[in-house]
Amino acid sequence: MENTIIQTFDLCKIYNPDAVPVHALREVNISVAEGEFTSIVGPSGSGKTTLLNMIGGLDKPTSGRVAIDGKNITGMKDSELIDFRLEHIGFVFQHYNLIPVFTALENVAFIMLLQKRTKKEMDERAKSLLEAVGLGERMDARPAKLSGGQQQRVAVARALASQPRFILADEPTANLDGDSAMNLLDIMEKMNREQNITFIFSTHDQRVIDRARRVITMVDGGIYSDE
Amino acid sequence: MYLKLSWRNLWRNRKRTLITVSAIAFAVLAAVFMQSINRGSHEMMIDNMVRFHTGYVQLQDYRYDEEASLDNAFPYLPETETRALQAHDRITGVIPRIETFMLAGNDHTTRGAFVLGIDPEREHDFNGLRDHLSGGRFFEPGEDKAVVTEGLARRLELAAGDTLLLIGQGRFGMSANALFEISGIMRHPLHEINEQTVYLPLHSIQYLLSADEHITHLLIALDRERDTRNVRQALQQEFQDDELIAYTWPEMMPELLQLLEFDLVGAYVMAGVLYIVIGFGFFGTVLTMTLERMREFGVLLSVGMKRSRLAGVLLMETLFISFIGVLSGLGLSWLVLYYFYLNPIELTGQTAETIIEMGWEPILPVSFAADQFYTQGIIVFCIAVVVFLFPLLKVMNLNILEAARK
Repeated sequence: MENTIIQTFDLCKIYNPDAVPVHALREVNISVAEGEFTSIVGPSGSGKTTLLNMIGGLDKPTSGRVAIDGKNITGMKDSELIDFRLEHIGFVFQHYNLIPVFTALENVAFIMLLQKRTKKEMDERAKSLLEAVGLGERMDARPAKLSGGQQQRVAVARALASQPRFILADEPTANLDGDSAMNLLDIMEKMNREQNITFIFSTHDQRVIDRARRVITMVDGGIYSDE
Repeated sequence: MYLKLSWRNLWRNRKRTLITVSAIAFAVLAAVFMQSINRGSHEMMIDNMVRFHTGYVQLQDYRYDEEASLDNAFPYLPETETRALQAHDRITGVIPRIETFMLAGNDHTTRGAFVLGIDPEREHDFNGLRDHLSGGRFFEPGEDKAVVTEGLARRLELAAGDTLLLIGQGRFGMSANALFEISGIMRHPLHEINEQTVYLPLHSIQYLLSADEHITHLLIALDRERDTRNVRQALQQEFQDDELIAYTWPEMMPELLQLLEFDLVGAYVMAGVLYIVIGFGFFGTVLTMTLERMREFGVLLSVGMKRSRLAGVLLMETLFISFIGVLSGLGLSWLVLYYFYLNPIELTGQTAETIIEMGWEPILPVSFAADQFYTQGIIVFCIAVVVFLFPLLKVMNLNILEAARK
């Protein structure tokens, strides 16, 4: 595939291999191309989050490997992975996980600070991203002053701030009410469509599944279907 | 932005931070105050010893230390005085002395006596000697009279107006015997000197000991104790071709220094206990601040923050708390010490009587020495660094996924 960003090769993850082995992933092989809007779905314990962690370089497989833009990240050292994540991957978490003592603007700008960008660049990009997610008026509010939906939109802006190759979103709508979830999905879908940003979700949420253009279903650590 | 992050993190739990800062501040205050009182009384003791006994710096013939004999006296001429005064800017005066041992007697008995030939004016300017007279008057310049300390006068049953006999040996074995009228009796602040001393005018003792224009010691007065070593060096350089040597007071009284250092051990132990208490309090705060944010740390590492940078943020938080605590503590200490400097703690009862007996004021003086302030800052900084090891190890060994699940 010409514009493949992510590839996994026979990815296996076994927890407690010496005691009671739990096969979280069983020889998973997937490819994700640039610009995809993909959902990974499945029941609890099916391996969605584990797969996302492997793709995000947060966890190491027991066997198999993950390649991002053709580069094998499985053998990377911890410090190399941290740098790699910063430059290539954006994360959106279920619990938003914003820095509570920073304002929305500072939360978004902080990622760019880690990339050592100039202050002007940080400010301009953070503002434009917050405006893009509809929070132009709440830039100076701290997370505690924002609703769940607003916090998750800040998290999306933060994930985009580093100009990553793709965004991994772990159950992004799980804590949001209906309107907020739809609003967030609208924003992400728009960014995907207009800016060709690649999104990969793990989700139970039917609203997310309905919007996805590709749905990978997992059962017992393996790929059940890929549509 | 990292600074901002550290600073704001500090105030996420305002009460806890304030309690920790207060604990550090009060411990610093207690440590500084204890040390200040200790050092204050030591400074008073040193001041007395220096003023009445050795001077801050002393010039002697280089052979005198080996053989404290009048044969090793040195010529004291007007030019010697000028050169000594000009050797260093901080020298405020010079006090010539002859010290020797003689037999002091009345009409039927004798006692060993420490005989000091002095310039009464300069001696008084340096140590207020005349203020310690308990009877009679001090001899005037040009008079051939003696002042005897109370202890010796009591042993010899002498009083002002009586005649004192002095028998001894002058320079190069010359016989030295004379009678002096006692003009006054004094109570010397230093017990040992009070028991055995006779003061004579410098010119009288020089004549008596066949030591014209000679002295055994030239005491150097300074306006700041801390210049002692520099002044010694300057004098050493100035008089290196004159067979003279300069000593500082610690070199002349090593036993006193040892005694004072031993006395400080107790204060150091107390301060150590205080700092262990602070260390644990501080550690408690940092422990909670670290453990309650493990998930946040996990997220920060997930999104690409380097472990070393995260550790740096935590180090800044630790340092912020310690700096605020130390600075408040030092400010408070300064105020408290300043108050007690103006209103010293007065001693009463038996302790006061004993102190008065020794000729000192019955007060607990405080020291304002600058190093006792910055030393505390350095100690708390060291504690902060040790305490910081905990979050540092946590961050360096953090499992991102486990932390994010917390």
